[in-house]
Amino acid sequence: MNASQTDLEEALTCQCGCGLTVHACNHLQCPSGIPLKQEIASQLALGKTGEEVLSYFSGKYGEKILSAPTTSGFNIVAWVTPFAVVLLSTMLIVILTRRWRRQQDTVKPPAPAADDPKLRARLEAELDRWDA
Amino acid sequence: MIELGVLGLRLALFAAVYATVVSVFGARRRRADLVASGRAAAYIVHGLVVLAAAVLLRALLQHDFSLEYVAAYSSSTLPTYYTVAALWGGQQGSLLFWTLILTSMSSLVHLQNRDRNEALMPYVTATMMTTAVFFLGLLVFITDPFQRLPVPAREGADLNPLLQNYWMMIHPPSLYLGYVGCSVPFAFAIAALASGRLGDVWIRTTRRWTLFAWFFLSVGNMLGGRWAYEVLGWGGYWAWDPVENAAFMPWLACTAFLHSVMIQEKRNMLKMWNMVLVLLTFTLTIFGTFLTRSGVVSSVHSFTQSGLGPYFIGFLTTVIAVSLTLVVIRRPLLRSANEIDSFLSREAAFLFNNLLLVGIAFATFWGTIFPVISEAVRGIKITVGPPFFNKVNAPLGLALLFMTGVGPVIAWRRASARNLRRAFIMPLAIGFAAGLGLFAAGVRHYYALVCFSLAGFVLTTIVLEFYRGTRARQALMGEPPVTALAHLVNKNRRRYGGYIVHIGVVMAFVGIAASAAFRIEEQHSMHPGDSVEVGGYTLTYQGIRNEDTPHTASMLAEITVARGGKVLTTMYPEKRFYKRQQQPTTEIALRTTLWEDLYLVLGSYDDQSGLMTLQVFINPLVVWLWLGGITMVLGTMIVMMPTAAEQRALAAALAVEGRAFA
Repeated sequence: MNASQTDLEEALTCQCGCGLTVHACNHLQCPSGIPLKQEIASQLALGKTGEEVLSYFSGKYGEKILSAPTTSGFNIVAWVTPFAVVLLSTMLIVILTRRWRRQQDTVKPPAPAADDPKLRARLEAELDRWDA
Repeated sequence: MIELGVLGLRLALFAAVYATVVSVFGARRRRADLVASGRAAAYIVHGLVVLAAAVLLRALLQHDFSLEYVAAYSSSTLPTYYTVAALWGGQQGSLLFWTLILTSMSSLVHLQNRDRNEALMPYVTATMMTTAVFFLGLLVFITDPFQRLPVPAREGADLNPLLQNYWMMIHPPSLYLGYVGCSVPFAFAIAALASGRLGDVWIRTTRRWTLFAWFFLSVGNMLGGRWAYEVLGWGGYWAWDPVENAAFMPWLACTAFLHSVMIQEKRNMLKMWNMVLVLLTFTLTIFGTFLTRSGVVSSVHSFTQSGLGPYFIGFLTTVIAVSLTLVVIRRPLLRSANEIDSFLSREAAFLFNNLLLVGIAFATFWGTIFPVISEAVRGIKITVGPPFFNKVNAPLGLALLFMTGVGPVIAWRRASARNLRRAFIMPLAIGFAAGLGLFAAGVRHYYALVCFSLAGFVLTTIVLEFYRGTRARQALMGEPPVTALAHLVNKNRRRYGGYIVHIGVVMAFVGIAASAAFRIEEQHSMHPGDSVEVGGYTLTYQGIRNEDTPHTASMLAEITVARGGKVLTTMYPEKRFYKRQQQPTTEIALRTTLWEDLYLVLGSYDDQSGLMTLQVFINPLVVWLWLGGITMVLGTMIVMMPTAAEQRALAAALAVEGRAFA
């Protein structure tokens, strides 16, 4: 990966408490963001690749400096879970709908005549009697 | 005077407990007198909370620095409108403000339903009052807004400068109205579950409340974005901060509910799912307040942090446990009368739209809490920041945009080949053409290309709907086009208002995609008289100017903006120093056009050398995000206007239920 200064600033979190990436933090004389930007530049000047620079930073400051979870080990769970949940729910909807439809097909009650005026009148009369 | 506020809160807590107990007891024993007493107590709670809020507001306005809250969040030089805003600027005040909105809504709901929904109302009273008991309990026992200082302060510490911004006057109240608005549909849902009256009545009764909550959640989120854009000064409007996520998640769940509820109204399906969504929405509003107030996840927005976390977790657990128990008990009554006939149907499209909305809410929730999970599992703190949320939510969001085009125009039950052709051939062609055209014009950002193509697709489906509807009226009624269009919208406000909301959504997507993909960002160090070229603009630094008020001291850089040799304007990016809080803030300078925003930030200034650092952002099309928000607001207003048909539907639902339970 041939990362630019901006890419790497985006991949690191500013430690001043602003919660933004190093790139986005624009605090005046930020005690964290500004030195980090300089450190990225000097790492790139050594001819390192993006991965090498990031592993240098996570080694030095701990994993929490990376602005997104890595894609290895337990952190994969962070990336995979949202998509897995959406996919599994889609499958669940498809399966359940098919099953319901089959059940419905097998035990279908005779469809009532929707707008039989005689039946409608009788229903209304019975409901009125019930209300009274 | 302060004692009146203290007494008001204590009595309100007592009255809220009383209202809860007698309402449930009255409903179970069918004792109308107890139910009436519970209702009266709910009104009294409201009155007492109004009194307490008025006392706190008076203390703020009179600069009564013997109160810890007033001394901590205001000062004698703070302008009056921000002094009013200090009511929700700190923790105790914001919880009191929340309770004020909740009890006001409770009174409104009781007034609206004074002679209907007799079976549901006692449980509605009990649910809303239980929520009030929780917040009043916090205010009385844990975090007292009327706490006195041992020695009165001579001057206040002032409101956090970041909150001294006009958007902050309306952003928190708007979000609170949205959050608390969600408690009304929740209360009716719980009432429907508790009473077993799970027909359409609770849904139709709360439809406007749900829209009201959604409206203010949307406005609150938009205003929050706008505030971040203008105040935080990093050129963006959304950083996937835990507290931003906290406001975004209930909006997503509420959006899902607003859509799926239509399926229940039209096809008597998804009853269980709707119930789950409304419970989820409310739970997420409490979770949001918890995130903001507990400090469990670090956030730039957690202006006040405290040990409230365990109480919120306790309340959340109770809400979830009670809701789930009721849903399980009432499961037989939540069975749907109809099932999905085909996956090429509007029902299925809405279901997938729901899945995506809840999926995005889940991904956001997951990313927000993953640092806590990681720490529990591996013992290592990690950060889940914007790159994660953008990568995970962008594909889901684009799929959702696609469904925005499909859902409203695909046929109910089973789409025929003819329906599909008629509804989608032209929109798909225009969407593809838009994408190809942009590709030919040199656009190579693939997410943006997909987003613009989808925007073309969705807009065409909507325009076609308006066009066909208007043509049909013209043919049928012989009306001229403008009259036909006006009548079309007016006769079916829910549908066409909804389309207008969707137009706003498309505009917002376009603004987000363009400003994310094609932003220009440069930093320049300049001496007076220096010029730089950025994105076609010539920026000339004229010099620094200082301004001083009793409250603030400012340093403004004067920048002349020209394009093609013609001077367009002069802009003044500013560093402002708040004297009381001893805190500098960035005040950006902004020039907005429909095409792009020129956004200037004064980075630093060296007095000796006169060297000034200027950050320049050019954010293309970002204004369409805000215009989209305004369009969504207008569309929602059209949808919310009451119609006679809706009143009839509610009356019919009430009659059906009345007979069923007579």
